[in-house]
This record gives sequence, C-alpha cells and structure tokens, in this order.
Amino acid sequence: MVSEMNQPALNSQLSTIPQFVWRVVDVIVGRIFIYAGAIKVLDPVQFATDIDNYKILPWTIGVGLAFYLPWLEIFCGLALILRRLYLGGLSILTALVAVFLAATIAAKIRGLDITCGCFGHASQNWNFPAHLALDLAILGALLALSFRVVSGNRLQNAV
Amino acid sequence: MVKSSLVRQALLLATLAFVPGLVQAIYFGDKFSWRSPVPASEMVTVTQARAWGENATWVDARPDNEFARDHVPGALPLNEDRWSELLPQFLAAWSPEKKVVIYCSSEGCNASREVAQRLRKEAQLPNVFVLEGGWEEWLKTSR
Amino acid sequence: MKTHIFSFTLSIVLCVTARAGLKWDQTSIELHPTATDKQAIGHFKYQNTGDKPVKFRSVRTSCGCTAAQTQKEEVPAGEKGEVTATFNIGERTGTQVKTVTVETDDPANVTTVLTLKAVIPQQLEITPTFVFWGQGEEPKPKTIVVRAAKDFPVKHLKVTSSSPDFQTKVEETGKGQFKIDIQPQETNRQTASTLTIQPEDSQKIFYATARITNAPAIQ
Repeated sequence: MVSEMNQPALNSQLSTIPQFVWRVVDVIVGRIFIYAGAIKVLDPVQFATDIDNYKILPWTIGVGLAFYLPWLEIFCGLALILRRLYLGGLSILTALVAVFLAATIAAKIRGLDITCGCFGHASQNWNFPAHLALDLAILGALLALSFRVVSGNRLQNAV
Repeated sequence: MVKSSLVRQALLLATLAFVPGLVQAIYFGDKFSWRSPVPASEMVTVTQARAWGENATWVDARPDNEFARDHVPGALPLNEDRWSELLPQFLAAWSPEKKVVIYCSSEGCNASREVAQRLRKEAQLPNVFVLEGGWEEWLKTSR
Repeated sequence: MKTHIFSFTLSIVLCVTARAGLKWDQTSIELHPTATDKQAIGHFKYQNTGDKPVKFRSVRTSCGCTAAQTQKEEVPAGEKGEVTATFNIGERTGTQVKTVTVETDDPANVTTVLTLKAVIPQQLEITPTFVFWGQGEEPKPKTIVVRAAKDFPVKHLKVTSSSPDFQTKVEETGKGQFKIDIQPQETNRQTASTLTIQPEDSQKIFYATARITNAPAIQ
C-alpha cells in the first residue's frame, strides 16, 4: 500500500501537483463510474436488450454482462473514492476503459458503428467523437492516477 | 509487492461485484430468461401447448401470405401489418378461461413476442404465451 | 504504464488487420417516420476500400416486415454502393428495431449487422383497448383511458359504438387526457361492439372493443 505521507519533491512533475487535486480526480472519476454503473443497474434487462440489439454477442453472455458489469463499475468507482482496494479498482477500471476504447476504435476502422456506450440508454444520442473524447479523457485520468501510484512506490522502494 | 496486492485487490473487487449481480439476477428471475429475450413464465413449449387442448387459442403472428400457405389448425391470424383489422375477430373468439398461444416462424423471429406484448399491454389479456421454437418447432412435432 | 503499451500494441495490430474490404458509412440508422408514412427506408452506404472485389453472399432481415436489397451482387475494388432496407410499418407503434445481417466473402469482415431503428409516433395511447364482462356479471361501467401524445394535441374526442347494446360517455380529465366510460345494457347474452375513437380534426381513427363473453370474467 502506498503511504500518503511520503511525497518527497523529485524530478517527477506529478509530485508537484498537490495532494487534494489527486483526490478530486479520484472522486470525479469514481463518481463517473458509479453513475455509469447505477444507470445500468436500474434496468439490467434493458441493458441486456441494448447489447442484444447489435446481435454481436449471444443472448446468454449479454445477460451475464448486463448483470455483472454495472456492479463492477460501481464497486471500482467506490474503491477510488473511499481509497479501499484502490489499486485493484484502478487497474480494473483502466483495463475496462482501455479494452472498450480499443474495441470501439477497431470497430470504427472496420466501418462498424457502436453507439451503445458506457452510459447505456442515456448516451444513445451522442455521436462517436463525443464518446471517444470522453473515454480518452477518462483513460487519461486513470493512467495519470496509475502513474502516480507507481512512481510513488518507486520512491518508497528507493528510500 | 505492489503487483501482488494489485492482483489480490482486483480479484477481491471482481468477486465482490459478482454477489449483487447474482442477487439481482435472481430477483429479476421471472422477468427474463437466460436462454432468450422472453421471460420463461411467458413461454410455452409445443408439448405443453398441445396438452392444453381446447383451452388454448392459437394465434399466428406471421405475415398474411405465410398464414395462407399453412398454419396450426384453428389458429387465428394476428399480425402488426393489419392489427386493427385482425384484432376484433381474435377478440371475438377469445374467452377468459382460454390460454393464448402465439407463434411466428421460429425461435429467432420477433413477431410473436411483439404481438404478445401488445395483447398484454393494450388489451390487458391474461395468460398470453409465446410458443418456443415457433412454427418450425410445431412442424417438427406434428410429423 | 503497462496499459499504455497494451492499448498501443493492440491498435497497431488492429490497424494492420483491418486493411480489407467493405467500409460502411453507418451501420446504425435511426428514422423518424410521420404518423401517415407506410414505410421507413434506411440507406446503408458502403465503399470497397480493399484491393479485391467483394461479393455479397447473403442479406437476411430480422423479420418479414423488413426487406433489404443490395444494388449489386459484387462490388469491385474502390466502388461504392448501398444496401437499402425497407421497413413496412403496418400498424406498429413505438420504437421498432430491425436488423439486416449481411454476409460477404471478405475474410476480414464476413458478417455485418445493419440496424434500422424507426421511432413511430403514437398519436393516442388507449388503455385498455379491450373491455369485457362475463355473462351474468353485473353490468357496471368500465373505463378506457385515452392519452394524447405531447406533439399531437387533441381538444375533443368523438366516440361511437357499433352496437346499441353498449353506451359510452366521454369526459376530459386533463390536457390531452380523456376517459371513456362504457356500459352494457345487460349481460345476459353474448354481444360485442367496436368503439370508434376519433380525435377532432384528425383523419385517423382508433378502435377499442367491448364484449360480453361466454364465461364469468376472471379479471
């Protein structure tokens, strides 16, 4: 676990950013995922139907994902905000967004158009660039948080 | 050090998320089916439907030309192309103690589910069922 | 750090493999037909960005109400074309999602699912569209609620019964909201009536059914 007491000033630009800014980023990103998860938790059958409408995944897998993914997002979002199981939450969310982004970009390159984004039914009317921009921003924030953890650890081990 | 705690935490979170997901799936149990997009309590197999005998009212949700070619004996046509024209004759034949069995061409077609949905929601009929496997399944068991 | 490398490598791999075949402008089209339209047509445009011709193997629709046609069986390299999906609305209402599954001989992209979403405006919502009494049941009035959609203002509703055995009374209960009370004269014999519901200033006619059935009603 990373100790928050150790923040010696080093070459790393990240360490010059005050502690509370990182906490704000944690909370914002955490809340985005809790919101995204909550929207889908309210109507998992609708989410399963949205997934099924694209006829890419078999119905059974779609239903499984529809019930599991939203809760995973909520728990990981909470992990970020409460700083419990923080590393685990951060890595799962980063992996989720990275895979989702890669799949979306791949689909776009191949000419497909997947508009069922991470915000379920609410984001139906957004266009691709808006989706992409938001997802990249979220990924950026998650990577920055990860990098901070990793560099923080290196400092610890060096000391 | 970091790596092992990361894996441990990630696994813990992944497992934790499983629990409410499972509870929710059980809670929603009768509102959906794992096999297909129609809840289990609203589907019926050909065997079950046949067993209902005279108590079943059969409805063919396929397009008119398919109904004309062949259909379940005694079935009434009711499709969304001519809904307001076909509905009154179906309602005239319906009675409260009967079970309505709706079919379209196969497991994959949507028409029977949509007709079922409309009968339940708009006409507020009880005991409306979708035939599992549709017309294809009926043909298999009647030969 | 690791995820950086992961995404980067993945996108390179994907860029390399996605070199071939048909590229679609859109694979998902949303249409908003008017209340009087009989069909909703989606034009799915594509271009063959690969260096080999692409042949269509099959074009299947998710229901009999949708027909799909490709303009050509084979698309030479560089050429453009479209798959036209025609959805016959019939008397469907609400949001309808129909798919067209296209199979080609392009190894990188054998199956493509084109989605046509039609949002069909519903002028009136009538709940329920069917009321019934069992033979011998007390002939109490039953209520049908009619709600006009937000963009279809209805000031007055005209309701007529096809049979004199049933009496109807219309009452406005709110802006664009009405209730129709329907009552049979008696329930001794089986009889039925088609209620014709017509909004003032509208050509469109809506229907509901009232009936005396042959068994005690289990409602």
